Order: sequence, then structure tokens, then C-alpha cells
Amino acid sequence: MEGLNTMLGESPVKMDVQSLNAFYGESRAIQDINLAIPEKQVTAIIGPSGCGKSTLIRCLNRLHETGFKARVEGSVFLDGEDLYQIDATLVRRRVGMVFQKPNPFATMSIYNNVSAPLRFNGHPSRQECDDAVLRALKQAALWDEVKDRVDDPATSLSGGQQQRLCIARALAANPEVLLMDEPCSALDPIATAKIEELIGQLKQEYTVVIVTHNMQQAARVSDRTAFLYLGKLIEYGPTEDLFERPKEHLTESYITGRFG
Amino acid sequence: MNENPLADTGMPRGYDLLIRHLKDRAIKLGEWALAMMHDGWRAYDVGDLKAAQGVLDRAPQLDRMDEDMEHASIAFLVLRQPTAIDLRTAAALLKITTHLDRIGRLGFDMARITTSGTNGQKELSDLHALLQQMDEVVEAMVRQSLDALGGDHVELARELFHRDDAVDQMHREANRMIVENLGEHPDMAPRLASDLLVARHFERIADNACKVGEKTIYALTGQRRSEYLPRHAYRPYALETAGPPPSKTRK
Repeated sequence: MEGLNTMLGESPVKMDVQSLNAFYGESRAIQDINLAIPEKQVTAIIGPSGCGKSTLIRCLNRLHETGFKARVEGSVFLDGEDLYQIDATLVRRRVGMVFQKPNPFATMSIYNNVSAPLRFNGHPSRQECDDAVLRALKQAALWDEVKDRVDDPATSLSGGQQQRLCIARALAANPEVLLMDEPCSALDPIATAKIEELIGQLKQEYTVVIVTHNMQQAARVSDRTAFLYLGKLIEYGPTEDLFERPKEHLTESYITGRFG
Repeated sequence: MNENPLADTGMPRGYDLLIRHLKDRAIKLGEWALAMMHDGWRAYDVGDLKAAQGVLDRAPQLDRMDEDMEHASIAFLVLRQPTAIDLRTAAALLKITTHLDRIGRLGFDMARITTSGTNGQKELSDLHALLQQMDEVVEAMVRQSLDALGGDHVELARELFHRDDAVDQMHREANRMIVENLGEHPDMAPRLASDLLVARHFERIADNACKVGEKTIYALTGQRRSEYLPRHAYRPYALETAGPPPSKTRK
């Protein structure tokens, strides 16, 4: 294993993935990946279906290992601390995640959805919950739309609002890193635009890692982009460089749609 | 040799056809501009006012082609949202169009000088021969830039920079001859002033041909000029005119 990356250009490294391999049984889904993720920037992971994007992101908060016959080799460091050496629940508190389809707790109100992480992790006072819900809904750019109906069921919201609710729920736990696995793939263009704008705002306070199939989205929202193919990291660099003049022929072929 | 890195992927796509179509349109614009330059110089060279008017009449079509090309390139960028080589090509074509338009405009300007009434006046045979030589080299450069663009030839585009050095040298020589003779032959001043402009136009056309080459290289390789061609320090114009050529370290 190489030494820890502490800086990436002029940015401090928040997460440092080192020699990471992820398996489903005998099948190796990602191979020997090294990736330094800068703090308070947006890092996009792109690649064709089945290339290991979602597997990689699920390794960043130790979700992968919960799968059937799934295991991980290698290390993921968060501020220099190996996430695979500490309690997985603590890891998921520090590294939040938003999934492809909005998945609010269907039986809960908007308020209870957002405050759920606090209540799962302890016994907060009503005031603490109120403060956290207000902060998270504002951060998720949802407050203005729901402030008069926080006790309504979460399922009364539109798809785009539900996804922002899930983002608010992830933020309520006050994570350091926010992982987003194709967060807009089930949304219409207007809801997508709102989420993309939100991502731009979130990076002021959080480190964001986003998996997306939409290359234009990666180009719009991210500072750095990683291209994965067949489980391997083919190219990683500033988004502008990767989309304008990629170094690897494989990257060029993929992003220009010339993949055979 | 075709140096488009994706030319051999064996995957014909609508994209490729659109890009080919855009390039073909740019080359047509370039040929139109080259013809304006060629005929503008011929008109000036022999003092043919009718031919000069013919060049002036072609300007509206040059404008239309430039505008159409710009529209097509922007539509391609907006509707297809290209990346990598496709993005670079579309962006390069937008700029190439401008440079080709300028070449046509400089041909137009030569034709306009023809109509200024200095033709038929006494001229310097050495200077005239030098301007003819500039025309030959510069026309060949414009053709070469179009060949490089149409055929995806990086090396052909790179060669343009060396030929540009020769044009710069000829331009300096023309300036020297004109400055010397302005003092010695004041009666030739109007013609020499026209020749000064024509020499300057040739030099500018050569620069625009180089720009087409530069953008072709960018489209094909992603390399920007500063990465392979260090800029030389610009010197005062008087020194450029009278002194030895500035040293240009080129890879």
C-alpha cells in the first residue's frame, strides 16, 4: 500500500481509496482502485453499466459488505482514518448516502423522515429535532416548499421533492461526505436541475461523490471525474480536462459514444 | 496519414456524418475565401478593375457562409452536446470559420486597394517580384491549412508554422524596400503605400492559415499552441522592420 494522499493539487484529500477490491462471491467487481477524493468538491464517477460505479460508492460507506457473499479488500481512509477498522454504523453516520430512487419512509411524515437519523442514533430533545429538521430542509432547498406542511406524509411530495427529502434526511445526521448514486435518474429535467443546483450548494459544506450515467450531468456538477471500465479506474482528473481532452483512448471512446 | 484517433473505430455514427458535414462546409468557406484572395491579388497585380469588382461582389456570400457555418456549429454543440474530440472539433470549427472569413476579407481588401487608383503607377520590379513570391507561398499555405483540416493531418498543420517564418521574413524585406524607396522616390509614394498594405495583407493571411492549422491540431490532439510552440517575444515594430528576424525556438 502506498502512503496516504493528503493533498490533491491545492485541495486537501477527504477520502483516500487505496488498493480497493470488491467481490461478489468469487467475482471481482472492482479491481485495485486508488482514488483520492478532495474535500468540499464534487467527484463524479462515470462508466458503462456494470463497470462497478455503484459497487465502488457502496464501498465508501461500507454498504457493499452487507450484500450476499460480498466482501472488500483494501482500504478507504476518511481524514486519514481507515473506515474498515472502525464501526460500520459510525462510518455511515459520517458518510451519508442518497440512492437512485427516492426512498422516504412511507409511513412517516416529512418531519419524522428528516429527524429519523437523530432518533435512530439517540434521544434528542424536540428542540434539537426541530433545529436539525429546519437546517436539513433548508440545506436541501426544500424548506420553502414544505414549511407549512411538515406533518404531511412524505409520500404526498412529488418525486423531485422526495429525493430532496432524502438528501435532507442524509444531511440531518450531519455527515462529512455525501454519496449520491444516480440521484436524478428517476427525476424529470426540472427536478434534476434543482438537485444539480443543490449539489453545487452542498459542496460548500460537504464532500460529495456522485455516480451518474449522464455524462452531461457529471460535466455540469463535478469538479473531478473518474471513469471506470470493467471494474478498473481508467482515468481520473479534473472534469474539464476529462471531457475536453481525455488522456486515455478508452475514455475518449466512451464519452464520445464510440464504444463497441 | 489520417491522424484522427477515432477514425479507425469502425463505428460510423450520425455524429461522424454531422462532423464530416461541418468540416466540408468549413472547407467550402475556405475555398471561397481562397478564391477571393487569389483573385484580389490578381486584380491588384494587373490593375484589373473589373476583376476587383468581381471580388468585392463576392463578399455577401462570404458573410452568408460564415454565418451559416457559425449557426451549424452552435446547433451541433447545443443539440448533440459533444465531448472530447467531437467537442474540440466543433469548438475549433467555430474559430476556424472566423479565420477563413478573415482570409476572404483580406482578399476583398486587396481588391479594394486596386480600385484606389494607384495601379498603373510606376512600381519597383524587385518589390513586385517579392509580392508575387509572397502570393505563391501564402496561397499554398491556405491550401495546406484546408488540406490539413479536411484530411485530419496534424503534421501538415504543423508545417504551416515553418512556412509562416518565411512569409514573415518576406514581409520584413518588403517593408525594408518600401521604407528605403519612399525616401528615394517620393513620386512612387502612393504605389508604395498600396504595396505596403498588400504585403501586410499577405502576412495576415499567412497568420490566419496558421491559426487554421493550430485549431486543427487542437481538434485532433487536444494540444494548445502554447504546449508545442512557445511564443516569441514581440519587438517594437521598427525593429521588426529593420533588424534581423526575432529568434523563434520551435519544436
